[in-house]
Amino acid sequence: MGTPVLSRLERLPRRGLTVLSLQGLSLLVPGGWSNITSAEALIESVIGSNDAALIAQVRARADQLSRARHEGYGRALSVYDAVNRSQHATAGLRVLAGVSAGVPLLKRIADLTPPGDTLQAVDLGLKVSAELLAFTQVNGLPGDSFADFAAALADYGSEARLRMAALVTFDGLLPLGDQALQRLDGLLGQASAIQLRQLPAYRRMAGLMPGRNDQAHLGFLRRGVEQWVGWADGLVSQLGLSGQRAVQALETTLGPWQGRMDQLAVFLDAFTDTYAHTGVQAVARRLVERAAAEI
Amino acid sequence: MVMPRPLRWVVALLLAAGLLVGGVLLLPFADWLPGGTVADVPLQQVVNGSRFNRLFPRSNPELRVTMSQEKRGFSEARLKQGDQVIALLAISDTITAPEARAKFEQAEERLKGWPLVEQGPHASALLVADRFQVKVIEHGSSLDAAHRHGVLENFDLQGLAALGSSPLPRS
Repeated sequence: MGTPVLSRLERLPRRGLTVLSLQGLSLLVPGGWSNITSAEALIESVIGSNDAALIAQVRARADQLSRARHEGYGRALSVYDAVNRSQHATAGLRVLAGVSAGVPLLKRIADLTPPGDTLQAVDLGLKVSAELLAFTQVNGLPGDSFADFAAALADYGSEARLRMAALVTFDGLLPLGDQALQRLDGLLGQASAIQLRQLPAYRRMAGLMPGRNDQAHLGFLRRGVEQWVGWADGLVSQLGLSGQRAVQALETTLGPWQGRMDQLAVFLDAFTDTYAHTGVQAVARRLVERAAAEI
Repeated sequence: MVMPRPLRWVVALLLAAGLLVGGVLLLPFADWLPGGTVADVPLQQVVNGSRFNRLFPRSNPELRVTMSQEKRGFSEARLKQGDQVIALLAISDTITAPEARAKFEQAEERLKGWPLVEQGPHASALLVADRFQVKVIEHGSSLDAAHRHGVLENFDLQGLAALGSSPLPRS
């Protein structure tokens, strides 16, 4: 399945808009975030030793594991990639609409672009489900009971706090406003299969989702989001996240922003890869943990 | 329409080649190709991680055990004190990693009869029934070697050894 996970990690950017926006957001997340793009540094932080021979062993095992197709690491990354491409495509359309709305001849394009909130909610729902699917591809179904599984998910959430904070702010609070999480279920209730089909990522994920048709998948989306919203709401109140605070934090790294919040969200969607970037890092960490335990 | 004989051969060969190439590219042969499983060991021979779960140490009021990964031949948990992760606990089936067994050949220490080695300053590993590796990797610095051995003792090692009754093919 293409490139091993750790090689993908090493190809992640060290600077650029994606890294800057994550660094900006990390000001709101205690414990901060460091942009790990070196496999050696990651392995060192997991095994707590800089013994070169040991690191090389872990690396070799990790590459062997991520090359095995049945293990799901490649599948998890391809889900992230699909979501990323889809995000660029829809946001690109909206940027185009914003530009073309000023030009009389091109006004038609502006009318074509999907109107905001419901589609945005479906997009967020799709990202949450993608996260759930990728989690099970990488970690299996840990434990023997649903409670064990829920505990494993919550644990993962606190480990990947910046990733979750980015998901909540960039795809929830900024485009949908501070009541995003409360509105989410209502918005998803209005969503139809047509909106689902407008998102390119859906096509890649449909095969991995339980259920056979769009309606069943929409149901899966809503149930996944229902589970997640409670947890995400806790994160929002714990970190005191809001659209305004996120904009302020982002301005420290990206520079001043004059426009509206939802425009900032479209801009971030179109020009950054935060979801795939932190996704690769999260998968790589779990893979290295396993490799370190198996050598 | 009558085609000259050589042209007929060329067309036939082109069609056959096209079918072959299309078949290889489009049909789901991927599952039959080597490289689908770790070290090409068939999945049936690897003990599933779900059978390891109940062998982990039990949580107690001070230390909590949260399961975090369950794959074929591997299961992992986090040992937590409060909200702090202090160690990773794992059981793995070494059938896909024969090189992992090799390090136990020079093991001098034993724990409950099974060979025990230290891997760097933060990890202790135990090989049970010549097949299952039990490992404790310290996070931070609150679990020295003696403590780690204590944690290893709390695994259900007898239950683990019993899983290994299925014969292990020699590598």
